[in-house]
Order: sequence, then C-alpha cells, then structure tokens
Amino acid sequence: MVQAIIDPTSGAAPGATAVIAAAPLTSLEGLRVGLLENTKRNAADVLHVIGDALQRTDGVASLVPYTKHNFALPLPDDLLEELEASCDAVVIGIGDCGSCSASAVADGIMLESRGIPTAVICTTAFDVTAGAMAKLKGRADFPYLRTEHPIANLDAEQVVERGELLAEVVRARLLGTDEAVGA
Amino acid sequence: MSDAVTHELDPDAAVRVIEHLYDQGWSDGLPLVPATEARVEEFLAHTDRDPDEVLAQSIALGRQATVRDITVHAIMAGCRPEYLPVVLTAWEGLSAERAARGGGFQSTAGPAPLVIVNGPARQELGVNATGGVMGPGFRPNATIPRAIGLTVRNSFGLLPNELEQTTQGVPGRWQQCIAEDEEHSPWEPISVDGGLEAGESAVTTTLVRAYEFVDNRSFRGPEDVLRDFQDTIQRTGPWIFRNTSAMLLLNPEHARLFAEAGMSKQDVRTWLYEHCGKTEAELERAAKGLSHLVSEPYPPGTFHRTFADATPTSIPIVVAGSGNAAMSMVIRVFGNWSGKSFRLH
Repeated sequence: MVQAIIDPTSGAAPGATAVIAAAPLTSLEGLRVGLLENTKRNAADVLHVIGDALQRTDGVASLVPYTKHNFALPLPDDLLEELEASCDAVVIGIGDCGSCSASAVADGIMLESRGIPTAVICTTAFDVTAGAMAKLKGRADFPYLRTEHPIANLDAEQVVERGELLAEVVRARLLGTDEAVGA
Repeated sequence: MSDAVTHELDPDAAVRVIEHLYDQGWSDGLPLVPATEARVEEFLAHTDRDPDEVLAQSIALGRQATVRDITVHAIMAGCRPEYLPVVLTAWEGLSAERAARGGGFQSTAGPAPLVIVNGPARQELGVNATGGVMGPGFRPNATIPRAIGLTVRNSFGLLPNELEQTTQGVPGRWQQCIAEDEEHSPWEPISVDGGLEAGESAVTTTLVRAYEFVDNRSFRGPEDVLRDFQDTIQRTGPWIFRNTSAMLLLNPEHARLFAEAGMSKQDVRTWLYEHCGKTEAELERAAKGLSHLVSEPYPPGTFHRTFADATPTSIPIVVAGSGNAAMSMVIRVFGNWSGKSFRLH
C-alpha cells in the first residue's frame, strides 16, 4: 500500500477569524490623538507633522507620543493598554521594512478591535506584506494608508511636505471618508 | 550500486513524486523528499523530545512549529534520521535569538541561519569542519539548514515577496551549517563560550547576512592579520545601528598564529573591540553619522567603536576550514548572537 505524503503546511494557522473594525469618528475636535512611532528613520518627525496639522485644522485637543521600540514585534500588552487608556485615535507608522510594515498593520487591527480608530501608514514598497498581514489577522480589507517609498532619507523640508500630505488622508481615514488613497 | 538495485528503483515514480511536491508549493526551489508517517516515526526515534513540543515560533505571525512539524521538514530537506537532533536543537537555539524570534525571517535583510556543531556529533554525523567547510559536498552541512528554511516557508507560511520581504538576501540562505574544527583549534570551542562543557555535542546558531574573506598569507605577525580583520570589520556598509557585531570564522592557521603569540580568543576580541571603528566624520561621509541618536551632534573627530563590547555575543569566534591557506572569514551577524549554545538532543 502506498503511504500518504504529509502536507507540511497543515500546522500553519489558516488565518484569524474576522475581527471588528473601530467605528469611524464624526470629528477630531477635542480628541486625544496618539502618535505611535516605530523608531524608523523620520517616522517620529512625519507623525509629528501630521499631528500638528490635525491640531491646527481639526481642533485636536492633544497629541500623545509613544515609541514602539521593537518595531518587528506586535505591541506589548502594557503599551496596548496605555494607548487604549490615553488616546481616542492612534496614528501608526512608518511601516517601511519587511517586518515593521506587517507589524504596524497588525497593531492597527489590534487597536481597532478594542474600539480605537487607527491610521496605519506603510510605504508602497511593502504593500504586499502589509496586505498579507491584514488578511492573516482577519481583516483582508483593512484600509491602511500607503505613502511613497522611501521615507528614511527625506530631508527636513520633505518630511514636512510628506507629513502635510499625509495629514489629509489620516483625517479621512479616522473620519471614515477615505478610500484609503495614498499620499 | 549494483545493477540489480538500480533496476529495482523506479525513476519515473520518483520524478512524479518530485513534481507533485513542487506543484504543492512546498519547495524552496530544489527537489524535496516526500515525508510519510512511517518516516516521521523513524526520525523521531533519534530524539528524546516530545513530538508536540513547540520549538519554533513566529511571534509576529502567531505561528509555530512543533518537533513533529520540524521533523517533517528535516525529511523533506534530505536529512538522514540521525541528523534530526541537530535540526531540532538548531531551532531551540534560533528561538533564543531575539532577531529570529521577532521579524528576522520577514526582514528585507533576508538573513540566513548559521548552524555550528561541536563535540562528538561532528564525527558521528559526518558534519564537515575542514576543507570547503561552507560547502558544497557534505550531506549534513547541506540538509540540516535546509530543514530550517523549509520550516520557515511551510510552518510559518513565509513565502518570498509576500510576508517575506527579502531585498536581495544571502547566497545559500538555507545552506549554512558547519562543524568547528576542534582538533585543529588552539582554543576552547564556541560551545564553551555558549555556556557548555568542552566535549559535549552542542549546537550554536545565529542569523547572518554576509561573508567577507580576509586572505592574509603574507603576515609577519599576529597584528598584521588583526589589522587586516580590522579594515574589513569597520567598513561602513554593514553599519546601520549604533554598533554592529561580527563573527570570525578563523582558519586553523590564523588561529594558531594568534595562540602561538600568546593570545586567547578573548585577547583577539579585545584587540578588535579597541581598534575597530570610525570617526563621526568618516561615518557622515556615507550619511551614516550617529548624531541623530543624541541631542547634541558629535564633534567630527569623535571615535565610534564598531562593537558594543568585547564579549562573545558581539564577536563570536569559530575555527574551521582547511589548514592549507591562511584565509578566514568575517561573518556579518544580523543583530547579535544570543551567547548561548545548546546541548544536542
């Protein structure tokens, strides 16, 4: 009798069950917006430009900066809880590498499942892996934001320019009026 | 092989199996060996580990592989049953590596697991430690690391250009397994640096990005060779964070040169730690200055050391290769070595 050949992928989980999306906000006015940067070059600066723009145009009450030190891994529980307690919405970025782009999307999905609306920013070079992680986490259509690659070598002026552009799509994302268009 | 045996084997059936395995998308590009339950049991007889023990995990993906899953991949990679403990212990070692536990296998760097075998298992399994140690031509050296790569592909579901985002990668990414040439090394093996006793069969692993040779057969003394290593180690290309780390794969002749001059492995590490580095201005010429890490920019003449410290974690040293020429390797470690070796089982 011929023996069956073992399928080596049978142990890999087929993907998470569907998880909930956070309801979009009606306005950013008076809200606390978290800026979760992942230590990648220019990430914190771009997020700050976005935050400043939203304060100026939308009356965001406060910006709450956070750093995710291990950019490749999911958010640690304590940081997740702090974000949940201290922010009404969180901007996450910049996913501009193989592990950190996927991980940024996973963090966004995790926060949204706790009811916190997010705007996750990845560079276009990592569209496939960001999308693959969204699917793996049960939100194949997760509307993360795409921005042109690369970010790391933008100069100060270009950082401001990029941040201002992104502020528009971040607002649209948080208010649910977007089509997840890139900047 | 006798004609009788040759004629009993069915090459057409073998080709159909190989093509079937390709069609499933399970291959790294080379032909696979089919895994069956009977073969799994035959392999598992060589380890005392629980088949359901989780040995490999991708925290980022929430995926894992048990001893049994890894065994399936050892079979598919072409291992012999007695190699299984090396594959399993290599996964135990990789699970202790921060970079491998995290997103290392998804990284743009595309790092390769390097497996180092010490102790009697080297002779028992025939793991090459001498001429042509980086291969090809030796079954355990070629198949043990391949089993790791297949586990990454099939158990973690990391397919190239999907969740795996390697930019260019490392040649022979799943082909890097060596034994240390303890018989021709003047020092204790790396497994002793990793916390085990000399003479114990052990496995040490880390993730690596590149190999650069240091060919120095014209040396007059140990410092000539150390300066040659220094020049390779301190170049700006691999320098992307505050510090970097590097493994030395010394051929026996270079190792003996240092030892005969009275240097221990630690003396070699300390010399390199103290000498390797660049000034802020030299790094800044490649837009790699470190001033962005501090609030006040560094003066241009500030000397930055390549290594964070002089420990085996930052500068692991292994002796292997033929004694026929004084050439060694600087191996670029991805992150750094955990500093731990693992008893083979």
